[in-house]
Amino acid sequence: MTSYSVNMWPALEVARLTFERLPSLAESTSEQLMERYVDGEAEAFEFLYRRVSPNLMGYLLRLTRNRERAEDLLQITFSKIHRARGSFLKGAPVLPWILAIARRSFLDERRSAQVRTEDLSPDGSLPEQPHEERALPAELSDALEVALARLPETYREAIVLTKITGLSVAEAATVLGSTETAVKLRVHRGYNQLRKELEQYSRTP
Amino acid sequence: MNTPKPDPLPDLADLPWAKPQCREEVSAAIRGACTKNLCPAQRMSASMRLTLCIAASSFVAAVGYWFGVRHNRSELGLRMGLLGALGWAIVQTAVLFMGFGPPRGRMSTRTVRLVLAVAVPVLFLGYLTVSAWSFVPFEQFSQGARARHALGCGSVALFFGALVSGSVLLAWRGTDPLTPRLSGTLAGLIGGVGGALAVGIGCPSHEAWHLWVSHGVIVLALGVMGCLAGRRLLAP
Repeated sequence: MTSYSVNMWPALEVARLTFERLPSLAESTSEQLMERYVDGEAEAFEFLYRRVSPNLMGYLLRLTRNRERAEDLLQITFSKIHRARGSFLKGAPVLPWILAIARRSFLDERRSAQVRTEDLSPDGSLPEQPHEERALPAELSDALEVALARLPETYREAIVLTKITGLSVAEAATVLGSTETAVKLRVHRGYNQLRKELEQYSRTP
Repeated sequence: MNTPKPDPLPDLADLPWAKPQCREEVSAAIRGACTKNLCPAQRMSASMRLTLCIAASSFVAAVGYWFGVRHNRSELGLRMGLLGALGWAIVQTAVLFMGFGPPRGRMSTRTVRLVLAVAVPVLFLGYLTVSAWSFVPFEQFSQGARARHALGCGSVALFFGALVSGSVLLAWRGTDPLTPRLSGTLAGLIGGVGGALAVGIGCPSHEAWHLWVSHGVIVLALGVMGCLAGRRLLAP
């Protein structure tokens, strides 16, 4: 009995250490999932994708205000992440890293779109500009989206990153390449403007 | 009677924001592209990257020393140059460790790196000013043999500096989507200081204009070039 326990303990210790080192994928943090994805674990990517893509899609959709462009950018962002996974530095926070890649992809795409000539509609006329001054929808979540889309891009981005995506002000500042004070100011101003936009929603019965 | 709706902005984070999802075929395409034949990525550790950068800088300094010995520079001059290079090598290494070592994405590291990006060129120009022994008017400096010497030194310093900056940019390629311009500036400054010191070991001139233009301006120029290249090379 004694020899049995003596032989078993080291094996149990190794198993414990292994278990501690590799938590289950569902319990892993995004940073741990990224590490395991970099190490070639496809299932870790699946979990990382499920965890990150809603935030990323929401961010891109609110930036572009166009579902197809947002989906294109989502694909571009993930292909960049895949190519750059070897250069992901251990210990770096994953979500700001990914959001910064997405933001740069968006800015690059917008820059190249500005150079392109305007596409004509099938009848040869210029495409119609979206109506900015339409009434807010009756549903609160829809009204919020419309009101948010009406904000200037800098305010919108700051609000999306800090209040919807859940980054800290410091993390949002690094993604936006700005200071914490500037981000706080943008959120505050955006908040006030959002309130004004939504006043008519509150007043409608 | 209809009652007005409650204030919809109690706290932005608690509001019923929509959670948009992309189409399933888009998700499938992304999953397919990112997991097809997935194998462990070739990774270089931060210490390995730092070692490569230091090796590039040391190589350039060794070439500068060899150049000085080959052109019969005085022993005192060589010793002074080496001493200066040693001091700035410590600064260079510190900038490398503080600027590139810690993972990006933390505000404290950004502040430290911003301070470094401003302090390094200012301190280096100050060092050059202090180490200048003679001064000639700019009209004399900008003509004849002095101008040719300044141009030669500047070109070599630029070449050496670009070599070191290029090594730093390549070693840290694709690692910084958050502050690529700032990292690029630091890479340029590290290379500029490396190039200027390598030339400083072999260059016999201690004239102020020569040091500022041929050795000092290179640091600023490479800092700007690094800032421009950083966006392309350091962001994934």
